[in-house]
Amino acid sequence: MTELLQYIITGVAVGMVYALIALGFALIWKSSSVANLALGQIVLISSWFTYAMLVQAQFPLWLAFPLVILFALGLGWTIERLALRPLIAQPILALITVTLGIGYFIEGVATFIWPWSVDALPRLFPRDVIHIGTAVVSQEYVWVVGICLLVFVLLTLFFRYHKMGIAMRATADDQMAVQACGIPVTAVFSRSWMFACVVAAIGGILIASIGGITHGLVETGLKAFSVVILGGLDSFLGAIIAGPIIGLCESLGGGYLTPYLWAGVKDIIPFIIIIIVMIIKPYGLFGEVRIERI
Amino acid sequence: MSLPSGIRNYTYAQDMAILRTKTHWALFIGFLVLLFTSPIYLSNYWLSVANLIGITLIAATGLNLLVGYCGQLSIGHAGFIAVGAYTSAVLTNRFELPFLVGLICAGLMAGIIGLIFGLPSVRVKGFYLAITTIAAQFIIIWVINHWSVTHGFTNISVPLATIGGIAFRSDASQFYLIMGIAALCTFFAKNLARTRVGRAFIAVRDNDLAAEVMGINLLYYKLLAFFIGCFMAGIAGSLLAHHWGTMNAEFFSLKESILYIGMIIIGGLGTILGPILGVVFIRLLDRVLTGEIVPWLEGNIALPAGFASGVTPMLFGLVIVLFLILEPRGIAHRWALFKSAYRLWPFSY
Repeated sequence: MTELLQYIITGVAVGMVYALIALGFALIWKSSSVANLALGQIVLISSWFTYAMLVQAQFPLWLAFPLVILFALGLGWTIERLALRPLIAQPILALITVTLGIGYFIEGVATFIWPWSVDALPRLFPRDVIHIGTAVVSQEYVWVVGICLLVFVLLTLFFRYHKMGIAMRATADDQMAVQACGIPVTAVFSRSWMFACVVAAIGGILIASIGGITHGLVETGLKAFSVVILGGLDSFLGAIIAGPIIGLCESLGGGYLTPYLWAGVKDIIPFIIIIIVMIIKPYGLFGEVRIERI
Repeated sequence: MSLPSGIRNYTYAQDMAILRTKTHWALFIGFLVLLFTSPIYLSNYWLSVANLIGITLIAATGLNLLVGYCGQLSIGHAGFIAVGAYTSAVLTNRFELPFLVGLICAGLMAGIIGLIFGLPSVRVKGFYLAITTIAAQFIIIWVINHWSVTHGFTNISVPLATIGGIAFRSDASQFYLIMGIAALCTFFAKNLARTRVGRAFIAVRDNDLAAEVMGINLLYYKLLAFFIGCFMAGIAGSLLAHHWGTMNAEFFSLKESILYIGMIIIGGLGTILGPILGVVFIRLLDRVLTGEIVPWLEGNIALPAGFASGVTPMLFGLVIVLFLILEPRGIAHRWALFKSAYRLWPFSY
């Protein structure tokens, strides 16, 4: 029972972070239907940048975080402007592979600047344990869940009330009509990349502050795709619901299946879920089923 | 089409021939002679580079059939190569079966695993398929790492390739084996692309619904593309295992898969020449960069510590992005442009 509660709480927390990263994917997919496979590498390099600010440059927290957000905004803008803008209206194959190339490049930059490739972020949250019933849980996880929820709420409000948010939703709905209304579609694309990078960076910092910065962060970014697939590609609600489900499967499966299977089964569960969803319900729980015409 | 002035086709066979003119034949035979005598004047270092290029070419040709012709994006190719490599390694090392059995089984095994992970392609495409194949890559490598038969974390040693008592010990003898199979694969792919199957692949790539309406069995052709592509990956994996002699699962990472996609894009998707050019370009770039330029720079200037390990992925990523933006049809298209300009000169219309 104690074990179970701990697994559930860590699972939900990690799943929330996955959901956050997945939101970054859905943002771009919704507005410009570009599949961003460089998400893992964006998570990696933003965590390293946070490390550079907090540990290498010794900036205080109040200065470091705005800088990280600025960095993520700049990263998103640069990627969109230099690599994706010239490829507007190209086939999906080109759009997917260009993000793979970007990811490859970013990973190279990360090894170039931080060649030791494993390090720890300073702990951002208090580490005192809290007792829930008989379970003992690190307070960090509660903080992570709280911050994720905060970002979700902010994004939802942004999409509901802000002019740019409404423009983004409109672009996702009908690009032609939006252009006819005089909304600069390229600016919408650019903003969506910037926001996506910020969201991914926040996710990266949260998970790196618990688990440290390793190359596994790229894999974390890829695991977030299982959230996207399960929730449905173009659904924010789907991402928020599917995230904790994936996190729970991962931590419960890792906890209870390891004795029966090989060690490290935890790392593979999200990928197995991807295959299962693909075979049973490829458009996910809340995704829009595409009907194609010839 | 691209025939010189004055050359006419009088029979159907002439029209279908790959090599049309006497110059073609002369160039082709000259190339083959040059290729198969190259062990005489290449050093062992460059021979091993050539062997790696040959093996990569086999896998890239398979991937090109799958991605370039059939349009099914697969980002798990290194995983399928790993399946072939480990099948061959386990069969020849633990069960002491002959190399040829290992080679064929490696191809079949990779093909069957490819079929399993290719199954979702019947319902989904594009991004969904890309994610499925990434998942396949991770699952395959995880199984190889943890299964007691393969033990991917520790090195597995692979015996030398032997056919009927001849052991392919030196780089030169391996060169003949690898280049022979690579030539066979290229020839097979070239001809497959011109048959009913190849035309069906192209129809599926361009619009799979339209292809289905025209009476092409999507299930059959998509899975066939996966099988052929992964079969070649398995053959390449087996050769790679016997070429290296020892390996572990880290050699088959997701980055390697992305590099394979990069190679066929740089070379030119959906052409037979493309993978050849792309593989030679990337492998030579890699070798020149890590073998020549980086050591030279390190000797002359003080470089940051991560330069040697970081510069290669940076450059490869940059090259992939630049090719997609500037020349999405790859080097093969440039080569075709050059040929037609050369042929039509000085009246370029």
